[in-house]
Amino acid sequence: MNLSENYYDEVFSFNGHWEIPSRCGLRIIRRSGRSYVMVTELYLDNPGTSVTAAGESLLMQICRAKGLDPHEVIYIECNPDMNSKLSFYDEAYFRVTFSRDHPPSYRQLSLEEVAELLGPTPLSPPAL
Amino acid sequence: MKLKLIYPKWEKLKGQTTFNLPPHGPVAFAAALPDYVEVSFTDENVEEINFDEPTDLVAISMMLSTQVKRGWAIAARYRQQGVKVLFGGISTMLHAEETLLYADSVFLGEAEGSMEQVLEDWRRGELKKVYNHMMRQPPIQSVGPARRDLYKQELYNHKGVQMVDLFHASRGCRYSCYPCAVSYLGGRIFRPRPMDRVVEELATIDNNRLFLVDNSLAQNKAWEMELFREMIPFRKKWISHTIEDDPEVLDLAAQAGAWYVYQAVYDTSDYIRRRVKRYHDYGIGVEGTVLLGLDNQTEDDIRRLIDFLLEIDLDLAEFTVMTPFPHTKGYDDLLRQGRIFDFDWDHYNAGQVVFHPRHFSSERLQELYDYAWATFYGEESQEARMFRLFCKVAMREMSEGTYRARNRALAGKSFGKDVQRSLKG
Repeated sequence: MNLSENYYDEVFSFNGHWEIPSRCGLRIIRRSGRSYVMVTELYLDNPGTSVTAAGESLLMQICRAKGLDPHEVIYIECNPDMNSKLSFYDEAYFRVTFSRDHPPSYRQLSLEEVAELLGPTPLSPPAL
Repeated sequence: MKLKLIYPKWEKLKGQTTFNLPPHGPVAFAAALPDYVEVSFTDENVEEINFDEPTDLVAISMMLSTQVKRGWAIAARYRQQGVKVLFGGISTMLHAEETLLYADSVFLGEAEGSMEQVLEDWRRGELKKVYNHMMRQPPIQSVGPARRDLYKQELYNHKGVQMVDLFHASRGCRYSCYPCAVSYLGGRIFRPRPMDRVVEELATIDNNRLFLVDNSLAQNKAWEMELFREMIPFRKKWISHTIEDDPEVLDLAAQAGAWYVYQAVYDTSDYIRRRVKRYHDYGIGVEGTVLLGLDNQTEDDIRRLIDFLLEIDLDLAEFTVMTPFPHTKGYDDLLRQGRIFDFDWDHYNAGQVVFHPRHFSSERLQELYDYAWATFYGEESQEARMFRLFCKVAMREMSEGTYRARNRALAGKSFGKDVQRSLKG
């Protein structure tokens, strides 16, 4: 399986569950006064907790490290395309909303929505 | 000090042949305890817990998600009696946050080299709520022979036939498979035990049949071949997970006593067909492990897969439904998609559907699971196929002079209980 570096601008190190050193891809885009944060699962290159399992703790760690206000962030999890024949390693994006009293809610985004929010994705069709 | 070590029971899958194997986790843990600890072990799957037995501390070892709720209930009873309860094991790690609610202390990680401190804390009344050793794996050479002396061997016997003993030659796994949490639990680095320690432990096992419970033997070819070479003189017969698909390795495995292997069968490809045939060419049986309900499977795919299993002449097949165990990619994916509808861990037995499949309803997947078992074992029952595999190994043992006749004193017992015989009038 191969993960394209086009999914992220930097590899972000974070404390996972039980303080396990963990890593994810990170891209931050600031636009119109808002910050769009996309975390990408690195699978075998992540020695610890997945971005989904890390959840809000990961968002808070990114915000602390990058000086962002978590309430102003649009937070997106990315499953990158791994060039696998298995469909569950296909590219997928989820907008995640955290709340104090409920489990996180996830909404899968279409590639068009992602392109609108973040610009072209590695698998976006070429512009005509 | 007295420590009571408990392995909680779980409900076995309906319609399947039940075999109780001696659990490996508790006796591997017990080997990490200081010598001054007097351990009493109860596997609740084969005997009742005596809650009145005096003990200073209780340790609950859990492997499966289907054990955790029972483990928590056992803990509650001991804690009512004023006895401190420590939890450890694989499913303690998978369900750590919840288990904390029912425990005096939770140990996360591998126990070797750490228990002296835990017990010292307990002695001083300063037991910590969490011992987090997830990232502090002990040196692999410190893993010693498991405390098999703690087993009540007669309870792991079916009609006079002793069950296999479980054994491990390595920890960790360099793979990270979709439905599996091993990389979270044991680390992504393959850690083989030093061969002299492996040989030392093999020599202590008074059983000529083993189950090598290593996650996968196919992680390092040179190590795997060395392991098999070292196993040859023991003349034991064994079951394992996948072996490297290489003629040289398979030949050595056969010489070392490979009886049958668990091989994941995930499609109907010629690759799988050839792989199963190659095992058979070397006299190694194959139990196919077949996961149903993956997103890329339609109902037709599942039916075709079952027909394929019969075509390729598998010795046994074990069907499971996709189950989103915590700390797996499967769990993350299904959680994000809002497709998990049941979070009762008692139902996470890989035979009960707890999520919405992509191509059909959860009820339909349950029916397909039942159909898979019924179809594969339609012409020859699971017990009959197991008996055939058993006969093969017995014949090999007889030809090599290692066969042990069944224990006639236990011929009327099955896992400690009297065998119910039905007499036809």
